[in-house]
Order: sequence, then C-alpha cells, then structure tokens
Amino acid sequence: MNPPPSPTPASVRQFLRRRRGPAGALDRYVTGFGLALIAVIAGQPVSSLIASMAGQVTPARMSAGLALVVLAFAGFVAAARAAGPVALPASDASWLLLSPLARRGVLGRTTRLLAVTAVVAGALLGLGLLAAMGAPDGLLWRLVAALVLGVSATAGAMALAVLEQASRLWDGWLGIALTGLVTLAVVLSAAEVAAETARPALTGTGLATETGFLSQSGLTSGGALTSGGALTSGGALTSGGALTSGGALTSGGALTSGGGGLVSGSEAASGTVAGVVPAVHHAVLGAVGAVAAAPPAAVAVVAASAALLVRQAWTAIGRMPARAVLAASTRTAHVTRAAVLLDPGVLTWIAEDNHWRAGRLRSRRWPSLPAPAALAWHDWRRLARRPGRLAAMAASAALPAVLARALGITAPGTTATSIATGITVTGPGVTPDMSALGATPDMSALGMTPDMSVLGVTPDMIGLAGSAPVAAVAAPSLTAVAVTAGAVLAGAMAVAAAVATGARRDADNPALSRLTAVGLRPTLAARAVLPALLAAAWTAAALTGLTLVGALPSGAWWAFGPAIAPAVAAGALRMARRRPVDHSMPVIDTPGGAIPTGPLLWALTGADVALAGCLPALVALLAPPDDLAGPLALQAVASAAALAA
Amino acid sequence: MYEKSVVADDLHVALGGEPVLQGFSLSTSPGEIVAVVGPNGSGKSTLLRCLAGLQPVERGRVTVFGVAPSDDAAFWRDVALLTDEPAWYPGLTSREHLELVEAVHGKPRMTAETALGLFELTGRADAPPQNLSTGQRQRLSLAAAFLRPSRLLLLDEPERGLDTSFRVRLAELVAAYAAEGGTVVMATHDPALADCARQVSPAGQATP
Repeated sequence: MNPPPSPTPASVRQFLRRRRGPAGALDRYVTGFGLALIAVIAGQPVSSLIASMAGQVTPARMSAGLALVVLAFAGFVAAARAAGPVALPASDASWLLLSPLARRGVLGRTTRLLAVTAVVAGALLGLGLLAAMGAPDGLLWRLVAALVLGVSATAGAMALAVLEQASRLWDGWLGIALTGLVTLAVVLSAAEVAAETARPALTGTGLATETGFLSQSGLTSGGALTSGGALTSGGALTSGGALTSGGALTSGGALTSGGGGLVSGSEAASGTVAGVVPAVHHAVLGAVGAVAAAPPAAVAVVAASAALLVRQAWTAIGRMPARAVLAASTRTAHVTRAAVLLDPGVLTWIAEDNHWRAGRLRSRRWPSLPAPAALAWHDWRRLARRPGRLAAMAASAALPAVLARALGITAPGTTATSIATGITVTGPGVTPDMSALGATPDMSALGMTPDMSVLGVTPDMIGLAGSAPVAAVAAPSLTAVAVTAGAVLAGAMAVAAAVATGARRDADNPALSRLTAVGLRPTLAARAVLPALLAAAWTAAALTGLTLVGALPSGAWWAFGPAIAPAVAAGALRMARRRPVDHSMPVIDTPGGAIPTGPLLWALTGADVALAGCLPALVALLAPPDDLAGPLALQAVASAAALAA
Repeated sequence: MYEKSVVADDLHVALGGEPVLQGFSLSTSPGEIVAVVGPNGSGKSTLLRCLAGLQPVERGRVTVFGVAPSDDAAFWRDVALLTDEPAWYPGLTSREHLELVEAVHGKPRMTAETALGLFELTGRADAPPQNLSTGQRQRLSLAAAFLRPSRLLLLDEPERGLDTSFRVRLAELVAAYAAEGGTVVMATHDPALADCARQVSPAGQATP
C-alpha cells in the first residue's frame, strides 16, 4: 500500500475550499464586474490626470510636490512596518502556521497580497511623482519611468519591511529609511520656503518700492518668513525704517525689533543661515533634477536595487519566524474585526492599546484639581507621555503651506511679482539699493547661483515668469484653495480629536465616569480645554505658514487659530462621543449611486459642528477680505455658539 | 531516541523590561508529565513559549529533542502547542476543524470521529465552533492538539472552562499520551491535574 502523500499548503487550501464551498460563478461575476467597473470609472479621471501632467512645473511647485510625494512614500513605509507586513488571517495563524507545512506555502497568499499592494501603491506614487516633476516632453516615456520608479520604491520598501520582520540582521534599516524620507520631505519643503524668502531679498524685485519700506508683494512673496511672523502685520517695519527692514530680511525676525543697529551684526549670520538652507535645497533639487535628467540610468539603478531587495525578501519568507507572523496576525485580526464591524472607531483603540501595551510607565501623583479638571487631566498626561506625537503634530502644521505650494496657490493680487522673484534668480538683478538693505550682491555665496539647468529648468521656463503660467498661477482655482482651506480645518480637527481620547473612552464605556459622579457638561467643558488650545496653536501655525509662502495675503491670519479653536474643540468632542455606525439606517439611491446613511451620518457627526462653527473663517480663507477684523469677530461669535451648543 | 525531550538551562527572560524568568532550569524525559505551577504572572506561559521557540531568551539554553527550537516543519511535526483559544474558520463545523488537522498533519494519532467521541463532542460535531459553549470550544481545541501526531505536548491552562468531570477525563488523556512515550509540559492552576505530574514553578523553582 502506498503511503498517503505528504500534506502541502496547496492540498490544505484545497481541503478548506472544498469544505467551505468554492466561490460560485455569481461570486466570480460580481468580482469581475466590480473590477471592470472600477477600471471604467477610474480610467477616465486617471487618463485626464496623466494628460494634464504634460507641461513644465515651476521649481517651487516641483519642490513642494516632491515633498508631498516623499511624505506619501514615508507613510507607505510606516504603514508596511506597522502592519507586519507578513501576517495571516487569525484562523490560518491558529491552524496552519505552527504545523509541518512549508512556511513559504502557508504565507503564499500573503506574499501575493503584499506584491499587489506594493505595485498599486507604487503606481500611485509614480503618478504623484510625474505630477510633481511635470513632463515637458516625452510624456509616455516619463510616465513609464515614473511608474517604474514608484513601483521599485514601494516594492523595495515592502521587501525591506519583510526582511526586518524576518531577521534581526535587518533591524533598524526601515527606521533609517523612514527617518531619511521624512528628513528629505522636511528639507524639500522647509528649505524651499526659506530659499523662496531669500530670493526677494537678493533680487530686489519685490522690495523697496517706496521710501525703502517693504512692499506688500515683498512680504507675501516670502520676505515675511525670514523676518518672522510678527512682521507680517507690517507695523514693525514701518516704524523701524528702511535700514532696519533690510536687516530684518537678511538676519531673521528675532533681530528686527532691535532697530537700526542690528544690521552690521546680522550680516555675517545672514550669510550662514540664509546661505546654507538654500544651498541644501539646491543640492536636493539638483539631485532630483539629475535623476530626472538621466532617467534611464537612475531608473535602472533604483529598479535593480529593488529587485535585489525583493529577491532577499523572497528567500526570507521561507524562514519567517512564527512569532513575528503571530504578532502581526494578532494586529491584523483586530484590524479585520474593525473592518468587518465597519466601525473605524475601533481602529483608534487598537493603535492606542498597542502603544501602551508596548511601553513601560511610571506612576506619577495626580494633581489636586477640581473634579472635572482632574478627570480631564488624563488627556494632558497622556499627551505628555507621547512627546513624539506632539512633535509630529507641530511638524504637520507646515503641511498646508507645502500643499499650497504644490497646488501653486498664491494670494490674489500679489502673485505675479512673487512668482517672478522666485524664478528670476539672476545676480545682476540685485539693485543698488539692496546694499542699503544689508543684502550682499554675492549670489554664489548664498547658494543662489543662476545655474538652473541642473534642476531641469530650461531658459524658456525663466522666461515664463511673467507670462502665461504666472497668469495661471495668479488665479488659483477655487478647488485648489478649497483643498488647502479644507486641509487647515481637517488638520485642526485631527489635532483636537487626537487629544479627545478621554471623552471617547467615557462615551464607549461610561463605567469610570459614573464612578466619578461628575456631571456631563462640566466634564465636557474641562475636556474641551486641551483640544481647543492645541487646535488654536496648530491652526495659528498653519495659517502663519500659508501667509509666509504667499498663499494668503499679509495680515493677522494667525488670529483665526484661537478664533476657531472653540468650534473645533466642540466638533472634536462631538466626534469622540458619537455612537458606532448604525448600519440599520436606510440606503438612499441617488443618480450617483447608493449612499448608506448610517456611515455617512457617523462620518459627519462632529465635522458638522466644526464646519458650521468655522464658516466665517472658511469663507475668509476662500475669498480673503481686505480687513480681517470683521471676519475674526464673526468667527469668535460662531465659535462661542458652537461650543455653547 | 533522545534521552531528554526538553532541556531548559538557566533561562532568563524579560518582558517589557520586567524580568519574568530568572535562571529557570528544567529537564524532562519522554513519557514524563510536568506541571508548571505558580501564581499569575510568574512566567508559566512565557516558559511554554520559550520551549516552543516563540519567545527569545536573553540568557540560557533551550533544547527540544536535542536541538534548539527551530521553528521549521520538522520541529512542528514533533511539538504541539495549545495556548489561547484558536481562531476558528468561519463556515467550518467542529468536525471539519478536526478533519483539517488530519489534512495538515497527514498521519493523525486518531481519527476525527474518535477524537469527537473522546472529547464528548459527537453530538455537536456539525455545529460551528462559534456556537459551542466555552468549555466545548476548549474541548475541541484539546481534541485538535491530541489528534495530531506529536512527541511533545505543550498545554497552557488546558483546564480552562472545563467542568469538573471532564477535568478528570483530561488527566486520563494526558496520562495515556505520556504512556505512549510523549512528553507533556502543561501550565495549570488545577491542583488535581498538577498532582498527576511532576510540579515545577518558575517563581521559585520549587518542586514539592
């Protein structure tokens, strides 16, 4: 009698399929039809998007766009690392993993899923890259190169994540890659902004129109960044005189209040600070430009490196430690449960609980506070125990400015001048009165050489400065402005919601709050303080950033931060206290498709109050008024009303 | 044939910076039953995970059948581990879960039908595990662990959720497994189950 064949992962999968019933023809039809529908629906927008990428992109916009692409890639790397990435469905982990079955076979499906994920994410990344870099010629070739680059990057990162999970030898590599990516994004965005601000001072185009004072365009085109947010109001400049203003531009805002005597002392510093940052920026953009200029070689190197990593990862999958897969599978099981329950709220608890389970805490005495404040102290302590999260929140305040840059948004009325100053980087352009402003005509010392070819910027691009593209940029689409305004509000909400955990926990499980016997309204009022403060600070910083990059006209836009904070806090608390998704709510059929009202209402709960409470600020952001006093007062009233409600 | 089925020598393990095992040693022979006892948090489950190779040790040495736990097919052919309740496949009955174990392991110690009978689940064979009571699901998990071929059985609190009468049956099943030459290392809080075995405690290395 022949011995029974050894079980293989394939035979076991077949057993499972047989017992659980194969996918029927209807299931296959539904899947196929769904995929075809997605292709049809997404095909048109994607092809239009690709067609719209043909054309040149200004360096400033390219830089900001690249920063966003790099950030998106960093997000992909972080997500891959957090997910495992090699995980199994909980039942497979229980029944197939700790068995004699070949590990590679057991993990076969997961491997395929990771590959598909990397390819899809890479394609999206490639499209983003092309959108950021532009395609002045050879759209098809550039598209192929961008897609290969994107897929290589994501596949390489995914392979690195697999290797890190499989072996301690690779520990830390992904962390280094992640740190490098975030640093690159920061350099691309921050240095780009700084370089932009340095240019008006050097070219003089936007400066000294009347009696040596800064013109409106000089401020909005970026001079305000080096001179600090306090100067954007203009008061300090007009009282300080021309010489002081010049010193302010070159030396940084902190020095401006000192008056005329600071110029001599600040000149040396200006050469260092204002020179290094643009030089770094120039180098980074130069590197990117070099990659763009020599696509075949660059693409080949990246693709070959990725292929090498993928090969290593493929080998590692076969000896992936069970404990690593089990840990990742537990996380996946939680996430799957959240997905099955269609309750995204569960996801936040998973992330939260995972974090605190991994850490080690030291008990500290609870401060003596009135009862509601003592309850709310939980949120403060939790935040203090996660300084990294606080730092990330602070850093994210720059994102709206980067987004505005990437979308080419500049404040109406000031754009032509500011864009022109940004692009026309020419040494001889320094006017004689610049020396009086403390700016040296030595452009090369500041890394502002006129050699733009390294960036792939052609002379005709510089010529574009005052023509059609500027006109296009000068009138940014309402959609782009709305996206940026939405990003500000969404960011403020995200920051506020991140510190409204206590309210969420109370709503999910009221046992603890019942024990404390503190009324609901006093508790909510106390819990609103921290979200309001953080939202105020974040929004003020974000709006200052938008003012500095010229996306908003000069003015005390930062004041909208404190003004909208109560409304945002009210929205965040409402969001934190919302009930789970009610799937029994009706589905409304519309010409655009069926809309399930349960998830829709769930998603809108909280956002509704914030949106209504921030309406004056949003209107002001969409159509910047000349005088901010009125909208600010209106916003304060709206915020108070939202919080009271 | 190995003289020792499990050897743990001077194990040191810390979890989250807290030491859990400090210089723990254990040696078992084929056919032996060892009960790991001790209060909650004393490191019983951690010890089982170390023996299964799922928990790296900071210091010390573990060998199972003469080699370090290797987390490969050959290792899992010899070692059966039962810890928390497994995740059940949706759409499979209790019997089918046991048949799955047969399919995965090739040469089972007993058939699924026999296991269902031994673990008093015949009447619930066609019920999805999710519809079973807590104790019945634990019996199904135990049935899967006893059904598959192995030479070392690592059980973490196998008495969890079981009624008194079945705990007695479990002790008999464990004894029968050991009588066939298998080694059982189980963490338990059940005094009767522990009394049938050599007791060790990670907390104080005591062997009363």
